[in-house]
Amino acid sequence: MAEPFSFRQAERLRKVLARHKVQYLFIGKSGAIILGYPDTTQDTDIFVQKTRENCVALTKALKALGFQLTKTSVEEILRGKDFIQLRNGPFDLDLIFAPDGIESFEDAWRHHVTVKGYPVCHPDDIIRSKEKANRLRDRESLPRLKAFRDYWRQKR
Amino acid sequence: MKKSPNEKKEWLVDFKAATRRRLKDRLDYSFIRTFKPVLDEAKFRSFDSMKDYRQWCEQHLPRWLGYGRTL
Repeated sequence: MAEPFSFRQAERLRKVLARHKVQYLFIGKSGAIILGYPDTTQDTDIFVQKTRENCVALTKALKALGFQLTKTSVEEILRGKDFIQLRNGPFDLDLIFAPDGIESFEDAWRHHVTVKGYPVCHPDDIIRSKEKANRLRDRESLPRLKAFRDYWRQKR
Repeated sequence: MKKSPNEKKEWLVDFKAATRRRLKDRLDYSFIRTFKPVLDEAKFRSFDSMKDYRQWCEQHLPRWLGYGRTL
């Protein structure tokens, strides 16, 4: 089983993705945690721009990070899937190319937030994607996440 | 679900405390690792659309994991 995601891994992820010029944003609860949201989670979710060039860069970055990508899995990433779950690397990572409730990567990028070099979806987008997904786990966490968004706005 | 004013006050205390913590601490202590049946049993999964992924979660994951829309 992979190790839980940590600051050390987050730094490595950020630096390797930047080195390979991957366009991405942290999203989901992992994104909210970077923004300061106090909660726990298990997976790291990144919203990746779905262009051929970006996906090629992403596969190179993932290999550099130690993810064991087979020829087939590289092809799947390049083929333009909407969601990919990786459990074959130093930490668990979900790649989301078309999150629920978000129009486009460009739209999310326009109002994203950067925290110490980490590009993160705006909390409104994180909330919108969870609202649209409408999973039981999301419905339970949304009132607290919305309260955090309001607090975060006041503090800015 | 409607939240009580007390609960909201507690959240505010949590939010204030969290923003005082360094990013390193937030990342080091917020990620936990527990094995999730079915979900963690494959090294790689891909879905053409989010709709496909949601349907797969509904059909294959234990309800108690919370990935579905109902319990």
